[in-house]
Amino acid sequence: MSEGQGVVLLVEDNELNRDMLVRRLTRAGMALICAGDGETALQKMRDHKPALVLMDMNLPVKDGWTAVREARADMDISDIPIIALTAHAMDSDRNTALDAGCDEYATKPIDFPELLDKIQRLIR
Amino acid sequence: MHDETASWAMHILQAIAPLRAVAARSSVSISPPADQDIIALLEAADRIKPLQDSTSSDDQHDLMNIFGAIRGYAEMLYEDRTQLHPAIAETLPELLQVLSSPDAVIEGNESVIKNTNPPLVTSKSNEPGVILAVDDMPENRALVSRLLGKYKHTVVTAESGEEALELLGTLAVDVVLLDLMMPGIGGAEVLQRMKANEALRATPVVMISGRQDMDQIIACIQAGADDYLLKPFNPVLLQARIAAGIERKRWHDREAQYRLQLERSEKFIRATFGRYLSDDIVDEILASPEGLELGGDLREVTIMMSDIRGFTTLSEHLPPQQVVRLLNRYLGRMTDIIIEHNGTIDEFLGDAVLAVFGAPRKTDDDADRAVRCAIAMQAAMTEINAANEVDGLPCLKMALALNTGSVVAGNIGSERRAKYGFVGHAMNVTSRIEDAAAPDEILISDSTLAKLPKVYTVGERRSLSVKGIEEMVVVHPILGVSQ
Repeated sequence: MSEGQGVVLLVEDNELNRDMLVRRLTRAGMALICAGDGETALQKMRDHKPALVLMDMNLPVKDGWTAVREARADMDISDIPIIALTAHAMDSDRNTALDAGCDEYATKPIDFPELLDKIQRLIR
Repeated sequence: MHDETASWAMHILQAIAPLRAVAARSSVSISPPADQDIIALLEAADRIKPLQDSTSSDDQHDLMNIFGAIRGYAEMLYEDRTQLHPAIAETLPELLQVLSSPDAVIEGNESVIKNTNPPLVTSKSNEPGVILAVDDMPENRALVSRLLGKYKHTVVTAESGEEALELLGTLAVDVVLLDLMMPGIGGAEVLQRMKANEALRATPVVMISGRQDMDQIIACIQAGADDYLLKPFNPVLLQARIAAGIERKRWHDREAQYRLQLERSEKFIRATFGRYLSDDIVDEILASPEGLELGGDLREVTIMMSDIRGFTTLSEHLPPQQVVRLLNRYLGRMTDIIIEHNGTIDEFLGDAVLAVFGAPRKTDDDADRAVRCAIAMQAAMTEINAANEVDGLPCLKMALALNTGSVVAGNIGSERRAKYGFVGHAMNVTSRIEDAAAPDEILISDSTLAKLPKVYTVGERRSLSVKGIEEMVVVHPILGVSQ
């Protein structure tokens, strides 16, 4: 993945996971910016127009569900693909995530090759 | 949930220990970027300890995040394993396995797996059962419950030997998973008490202990434990041993069931045959049920028919109670004598007795026993009549007939009412002979005489015509026996 494809916004409040994912995604060739809550995430989406957002749904200040719905309602950023990251591997969560406007869904613990696959499909 | 996370945390820490140890060795050089991954992984691992015993859901959530981060770093290291020092690369598969799922292989140390003896008994069966898991450590109980719950076992836990024994008294348990080291009543004593208890003796016991307690485990196996597992145990081995235990328990249960059925059928046989067979013949039938054909076969027997002359007329002049009293005294004595001579009483018809010698068990002296029995019966009439006289009852005269011939012997009748009985022309012939017998006489056919040893005094022969056969039937009165 070349840098010309733009940056990926990683929204994750847990610093351990954020550090790990930044490290992993960087090694996979991605340029990353980070946010630790839903409000900052929306701000960074507007400022940087990332090629894709990886969003943990359980966030402080403004949770992932609200952030996604607001992003979808904002014409400037409504077409940015979002992959929801959640800890609950339940079908209802998958549907909630897709209903809220997410394009994809990945459960924690994250299956990294699968996540890379989803990222690449959405960026293209 | 908390217990599960806590035990998972414990196993992850165990699995990280080898990596930490190798990384600390100065002889192992680690080049970028792996060095940063290892540092980050070990730092993340350091955060487990303060959280692992917490029950708050936030801390639980943090723990899951830590596990996720550790897993991510471990996967990165694994992707680069070819560039890693082999001593580090070696530690990764085990760690990844533990991280991938709380139910994955939980052996913290690979050498433990290698040194673990194969299960004494394994089973491919996955039949669920009721498992009693006895352990004083809550996390161990939770771990066992979770692992065995996956195989649909019903897991009941006890936190002490005392509680275990109490539960065993009320609960039908298939396998007991018994921790060796417990405060109070320890595993070895629970085992000992189970083996001393008739009702619990057969319940399989799998001992659980640390490696350091191997001596005691051996003692437990000698004391009757079925198997053992070393901590930390491998879930696959756990299930294998539990399944083997369940299978053993099922075998035992089936055996007990079969024994119960046998006892019931023995009772049935005794109830069915006991009334007209001697005890030793019943014992013989029970000893070799397959050797005895009760379904129906043609066999040569000696048939005995007895009758009290004039009884019908007699009974018409007596009150019913006296008739019954008279009959019972007579038939009671006759029954005893016939059974003493190993005869089979086929039926009583009023005052008449039909008995057979040679079925269901055939012996060479069937005819001889029948005649001796007849003589004893006639001799007993003296006693019976003496008793009748005392009671003011009439004197009885019995006629006895014996005939030897082929009959079909078997359980005759319908499902609702069946009895071991005899059918055949020889029966009719016997009846004819009995008609011809005089009071106090024993009349035997030529065919019976032919079977007798030369010890009897036989009277003058007579010839009888029998309906249905052309030839005359030759009969002989028995007058006495010389020995």
